[in-house]
Amino acid sequence: MDRRAFVRTSAAAAAWTLAGGMRLEAAGKIPDLVAVKGGEAEAMFRRGIAALGGMRAFVKPNSKVVIKPNIGWDVPPERAGNTNPKLIAEIIKQCKEAGAKEVTVFDHTCDNWSRCYRTSGIEAAVREAGGTMAPGHAPAYYQEVKLGTGKSLTSVKEHEAILAADVFINVPILKSHSSTRLTIAMKNLMGNVWDRGYWHANDLHQCIADYAGYRKPTLNVVDAYAVMKRNGPRGVSVSDVVTMKAQLLSTDIVAIDAAGAKLLGLDPSDVRHIELAAARGVGTMELDKLAIERISL
Amino acid sequence: MKKFPHPLKIARLVVATAFGLTLTLIFLVPGSAISTVLSPILTPLQLVPSVVRLTGGAVIVLAGLIPVLLLTILMGRVYCSTVCPLGILQDLVIRFRRQFPGRRWFRYNTPPPLFHYSVFSLTVVLALSGSFLLLNLLEPFSTYGRVVSTVGGPMAVALNNAAAFLLNRLGLPLLVHLPWRVADLVAITIPALVIVAIGAMAFWRGRLFCNTLCPAGALLGILSRVSIFRITVDHERCNECGHCERVCKAECIHSGSKTVDFAACVGCFNCIDACPTVGLSFEPIWHRDARTQTNDGRRSVLMTLIAPVTGRLAADSTIAPRALTYDESRRLAVAPPGAASTERFTGLCTACHLCVSACPTQVLYPSVLEYGLEGLFQPRMNYTASYCNFDCTVCGDVCPTGALQALPQAEKKLTQLGKAFFVREDCIVVTKKTDCGACSEHCPTKAVKMVPEGKVLLPVVTDTLCIGCGACEHACPTKPRKAIYVIPSAVHGKAQKPDTTPVQEGKQELEEFPF
Repeated sequence: MDRRAFVRTSAAAAAWTLAGGMRLEAAGKIPDLVAVKGGEAEAMFRRGIAALGGMRAFVKPNSKVVIKPNIGWDVPPERAGNTNPKLIAEIIKQCKEAGAKEVTVFDHTCDNWSRCYRTSGIEAAVREAGGTMAPGHAPAYYQEVKLGTGKSLTSVKEHEAILAADVFINVPILKSHSSTRLTIAMKNLMGNVWDRGYWHANDLHQCIADYAGYRKPTLNVVDAYAVMKRNGPRGVSVSDVVTMKAQLLSTDIVAIDAAGAKLLGLDPSDVRHIELAAARGVGTMELDKLAIERISL
Repeated sequence: MKKFPHPLKIARLVVATAFGLTLTLIFLVPGSAISTVLSPILTPLQLVPSVVRLTGGAVIVLAGLIPVLLLTILMGRVYCSTVCPLGILQDLVIRFRRQFPGRRWFRYNTPPPLFHYSVFSLTVVLALSGSFLLLNLLEPFSTYGRVVSTVGGPMAVALNNAAAFLLNRLGLPLLVHLPWRVADLVAITIPALVIVAIGAMAFWRGRLFCNTLCPAGALLGILSRVSIFRITVDHERCNECGHCERVCKAECIHSGSKTVDFAACVGCFNCIDACPTVGLSFEPIWHRDARTQTNDGRRSVLMTLIAPVTGRLAADSTIAPRALTYDESRRLAVAPPGAASTERFTGLCTACHLCVSACPTQVLYPSVLEYGLEGLFQPRMNYTASYCNFDCTVCGDVCPTGALQALPQAEKKLTQLGKAFFVREDCIVVTKKTDCGACSEHCPTKAVKMVPEGKVLLPVVTDTLCIGCGACEHACPTKPRKAIYVIPSAVHGKAQKPDTTPVQEGKQELEEFPF
């Protein structure tokens, strides 16, 4: 070990001890994954984020936060096609309390963007909670970035809000999905980019894993309050939806997707992008090796 | 010293400005809510679209039509100077023309009414026999709307996006970028040329178009022959100075003989304003001087009324429907929701492009020859550009002619515009053996389902559930040919309601974490 490496390691260790010590004081050991059930979306988030050391562990004062829900479809909240607007509002409130300078929310929607923002209830919830809805329906809002390591995906046009943010909170909703069997945290990141058609045409699962390896959210929160178990991702009617009342939180996007797959009754290894991402070390899909905190309200 | 304009002229200018601005706005900004809000108020007042809509049995347009007709019976063709957007546009050209020394004044030169009525008869006969081509090229509201939509629309988008870009740079995200869209070059050029030609006519001889080619002008001209209030020359006061004749853009005042061809008068009131002796007035018929004459032409009126009926009879005996071949159906355009059938739609649409402008997803584009020549510029679904929003009914709600019926949302969601056709050998799942599913993802009724085939999922179409909205076709990433596309239904069908059996019975809340 050379001197530089030694200094770096000891500094990291000191920081780790300090941060860990503070967190341990507040809530004991920080788990890899928090699973909450049995409450309303806001209440589950309050308990879940506390178990991860509180919002202040992720959002520093004066930082720019971007929240990326799934707002893909022109369907109302009861259809569970888009992330629960109450959850988004609660996250914004906590970001603000933690001292965030601004909180931006956007999605590159599939259906007409202004109808999606309105019908999902997310636009109204964001406005009320003091966040900003950013448009994402035109190429002018995206900038080309190189991925470096991607296998099928080497560059994307990424939304400017993601590029400008200090903190990126990924808030997907758990759904069945006709293309990829399910959509959770990694699949939700498709809404960060402009040209999704390229992904579909060039090994969709590999592209999802490639992008997950490039863009790591600061925090993932999976909304599984109402879950579309059939006909996803758009759904046909409310009969596709089950009120599961659950929520997952983790910084490990592969772990949270693996846990989400199980909630939907699928084995994580049945979903190729979860396997691909785990294989390239984006996160771990072996749930039994993780420290999971399970909370029932 | 310039005197204050006559109150009637002021009133004309105020009303014309209000209609001119609002009627431009509803066509200008693509996908804007302005169209949806204002159109139902404004369009029933538009003569030709409302007459067309009335033939379809929509008595609601009488709310606009009756006031227009009563107004004409009361005051003559004031409609042409206030409510008609093309008339207002011509007045702007005429105002511009006044800057040119040789073009400052007009002189009496009323076009022969027989010519106007002949054109009108031909237009009506063709329309009744199913071809709206001539009507669509001459109808003033549609002629105007078409140009604002296809030429003005892209300009508005460009201007908005440039402003949005600059404001964003300044850290003021007040404007949102609008998606760029341009219609087929032919669909831009021809309407633009038509407007340029009408503008040139206006520059040359004022409201010449309105008294030779315009179907609305012809119809209102007939009514104004019996109107109560008219421009009247007081033979005692008039000193034949000719001021009125020189400012008459309809060229219908002959100051020498002190006569007004009131059927050609567009009610601008410039003459009254210009008269230095109060020799002209706008008075009820019973005040009229016995020597005042109007050019009557009763026979041409009679012909106008008879010709369409005989023409219709002739047309009915010659046109017979025939079955379409597969290749023909592939080239056909998908008609928008509410069209009911392509034949019905093309026989009622004046191609005003209000739906094209109002459509929130901007899936509607002017056709060129997809419906055949008589369907020129009538809107079609362009699934390369976008797709039809499942819950939206805007096009039918704004349609001023009833060519697109206003469908209740529940009915619209089951209306089959066409059916998706899957081309297996072009699909990525088959050619690359990797998952895709973009088509099924976007399908609002799950008429396109993914079924396992080996390790991947392959699309399968259920015809009975498909409504032909084009979401699958739009989303399909294969190039250059889409692996799934909508084959239009010449007659729109009705889809089956989707299965709504609950996905899970009994307790829904999660009991134990499965990990």
